[in-house]
Amino acid sequence: MKQNLRSLSRFDFLKMIPTRKAKIAEAPARAIPSTDSYKPNELANALHPKCQHLIVSEITEREKDVKSYSLTPDMARGTEKLAYFSAGQYLSVALEMGSVKLTRPYSISSSPRESLSGRYELTVKRVDNGLASQYILDNWKVGTEVLASAPHGEFTYEPLRDARQIVGLAGGSGITPFVSLAKAIADGCEDANLTLIYGSMTEKEIIFRNELENLAAKCSRFKLVNVLCDEKVDGCEKGFITAELIRKYAPASGDYSIFVCGPQVMYDFVDKEIEKLGLRKKFIRHELFGEYRYPEKNDDYPKDAVGKKFKLTITICGEKKTVECDANVTLLNAIEHNGIAAPTNCRSGVCGWCHSRLVSGNVYVPKEVDGRRMADLQYGYVHPCSTFPLSDVEIDVPPFRL
Amino acid sequence: MSEKYDVIVVGAGNAGLVAAATTAKNGLKTLLLEKHNLPGGCATSFRRGRFEFEPSLHELASVGDKEHPDTVYKIFDNLGATVDWRYEHNTFRAIVKGCDGYDVTLQAGIDPFCDAMEAAVPGCRASVHRLFEYYPKVTDALAYITRMKGKPNGLVMITKHADFMKIASHSVEDVMKSLGIPEKARNIINTYWGYLGVPTDELNCMHFLNMLYSYVVHGAAMPYKRSHELSLSLAKVILDAGGEIRYNSEATEFLYDGNGAVCGVVANGETLFAKEVISNVIPHNVFNMSDPKNIPETDLKLANARTFGISVSTIYLGLDCSMEELGIHDYTVFVMTDANPRKQYDDRKNKSLYIVNCLNKVIPDSSPEGTCTMFFTMPTFGCDVPKDLKPEDYKKYKNRLAEEYIEDYEKLMGIDMRSHIEEISIATPVTFARYLGTPEGTIYGYALSGWDNILGRISCEKDEYTIKGLSFCGGHAFRGDGYSSAYVTGDTIGHRVVNSIKGGN
Repeated sequence: MKQNLRSLSRFDFLKMIPTRKAKIAEAPARAIPSTDSYKPNELANALHPKCQHLIVSEITEREKDVKSYSLTPDMARGTEKLAYFSAGQYLSVALEMGSVKLTRPYSISSSPRESLSGRYELTVKRVDNGLASQYILDNWKVGTEVLASAPHGEFTYEPLRDARQIVGLAGGSGITPFVSLAKAIADGCEDANLTLIYGSMTEKEIIFRNELENLAAKCSRFKLVNVLCDEKVDGCEKGFITAELIRKYAPASGDYSIFVCGPQVMYDFVDKEIEKLGLRKKFIRHELFGEYRYPEKNDDYPKDAVGKKFKLTITICGEKKTVECDANVTLLNAIEHNGIAAPTNCRSGVCGWCHSRLVSGNVYVPKEVDGRRMADLQYGYVHPCSTFPLSDVEIDVPPFRL
Repeated sequence: MSEKYDVIVVGAGNAGLVAAATTAKNGLKTLLLEKHNLPGGCATSFRRGRFEFEPSLHELASVGDKEHPDTVYKIFDNLGATVDWRYEHNTFRAIVKGCDGYDVTLQAGIDPFCDAMEAAVPGCRASVHRLFEYYPKVTDALAYITRMKGKPNGLVMITKHADFMKIASHSVEDVMKSLGIPEKARNIINTYWGYLGVPTDELNCMHFLNMLYSYVVHGAAMPYKRSHELSLSLAKVILDAGGEIRYNSEATEFLYDGNGAVCGVVANGETLFAKEVISNVIPHNVFNMSDPKNIPETDLKLANARTFGISVSTIYLGLDCSMEELGIHDYTVFVMTDANPRKQYDDRKNKSLYIVNCLNKVIPDSSPEGTCTMFFTMPTFGCDVPKDLKPEDYKKYKNRLAEEYIEDYEKLMGIDMRSHIEEISIATPVTFARYLGTPEGTIYGYALSGWDNILGRISCEKDEYTIKGLSFCGGHAFRGDGYSSAYVTGDTIGHRVVNSIKGGN
């Protein structure tokens, strides 16, 4: 027999609306609870605050032109607790220098554990022509108020992805995320082993030498190899970080992940050496590229743009401003140097925080720092932090947000 | 008064985008506010290394194609938004573990679907087919009710739409049982409950039948460039029509005039006025941004009467091997420990149900050659997040969760994903609370359970949302959750506001 809906009452239909009305009528007319009161929201806020108001509580003079800053929550301005982070993450710090407004990402050099007792440490090294590093080193004092982002970044140990044995390759101030990682391994925040191969020019430029040697002495999971290119010193390797040197200290089984952080000149050299090791891509992790310089050195760069100056028209919330932008300056730097605060975090093309609409004009995006989504290319969106003008350009930029 | 718009749309989620595109395209001075730096809400994408991940969309229903355009296709087409649609012709593969389990793959198209059901459960074909036969009756009745503006004539309903009355007032299980669909067949079809977040002994059959039909008749569609393509194509419509979009601009206050009507919002400290405000933001949050004296008791009681819809935990994997090398052949696989949806729902903390998608099946070049992506989805409520979970333990919690599901799927399929993970990202209700800002990180707004079903929402909308100058669209609104429902509410509300302003009311 063909079955139909005979067994169901159609009159239940007539009860639907009265039932609904009754349910609503019996509900209380009390105020809606705050969204922050729910557990997932509470955790989201704790891990990803919109910004963090910090205060410089202590300054440690390290090697020449290097200082570490202890930052603690500035309760007076509303930050009660620091956001927890993973070793290898950075804070984007907002800086105002006269008419210039910009941000800089600095890797946290303290252990995540220390953030639970209210301390982050940022370590800054003076860079030639480095506007931000010079400003910080010359101006931050104990008591300076610092506006920072929540922790960001993907240069972290991921146990489901990485080999448990990490071979860290650091150059110069690229040591900072590894200091955090070494401390996190030593204090049990991370369950991994780290062999750190750290390249410096000379012995006196090795940052964190004592801290790292002390950590290595008391924690068997952390090993330190200093490499000096400009001098021969006992206890240090002499030369560059070559494939041969990595092989010497990495497990012979080949079961390890390489983490690399340093200046671009180091990437240029070390990437070729890593290639010789024949590792799968998944075992090679790069920290952010950093501010892209000299786009004109690339083969695919249109040579007729070299040395030119263009007009850059920026619209933020309907307000327009036109500034000049040299062909070898990123759109973001041109914006910031004209006193306009723009959203930005990684400054290396990948995080997409500065995602902006290209209204008109031609641009060049070096492929190493092209972190755009596919549909962005179709619909004309750019990341100004990694974009160079090739003509007069007009862009629509969202307002500043940390 | 700093600036006057005809319409301010708060939130550039799916519904907000369509609503703003509709009002802008109809000549209204439109401002769309979005707290993030990207449009789309859930409909976005994110990059890790050489992978671009789809964060939320499994299958977009009600699309169809140029020759057979369905609701979503028409909405995009009417707005002039172009999307490169790709199609999947299997609906899903359902695997129930254990000795009483099964492994069934169903195809799109009513007849192929019924054939596959017959093969899985001999003798069920006719009863399953009958279920689909009721679909036109449901749409006829809904069209009639809509024509009557939600006040249908009782006699007409009883004489012409009696079947509809039965289907609309009973659960999926009740209707299927009355049609004589055997238990195993019910369980296989009802695998879909996971997409609506309410188990089928509670889920309203009318709503389920709409969804089932829309998936089965045309199959599912996916945008070629992830959901970010959908959102940017709609953003383009808004901008081309002279509308304005402000990103990084979170509305922090809803403003009311002396008569209790919404007249604007505050965003980034700026006061913005409009004749009408459309909120893609859930009423709970809007009320929290309003002076309590302006919230009418009915609206407040409705909000308090409701429960939040489901959220999810998700795992995104970028693998350094192709899907063929991995040994994966399906786009959508539902994995269950028990065939019964209620049991799956109740036991959800114990891997009772999860969904695994491999986008490369639908879009082979959605990741670089020699790679593929896998996307795990586990239905989870915000209240399932442990109350004592501390921020410093959160990452370990996420990793443990991901490891359990990855291992479970590897064992089930006899494959090795673990050694191929080149990129991994894990999301939980905490992640959705962060990005969507919804209470408990709900992605589905309010649960469609029991009394709070679609028909009730549609019928009572005018009595329940009484604040003048303010309309709601999105997953929390009258059509329930899912991309297609969100687009429909954006379209409906957009047109309603156009009529209201242009009609001079």
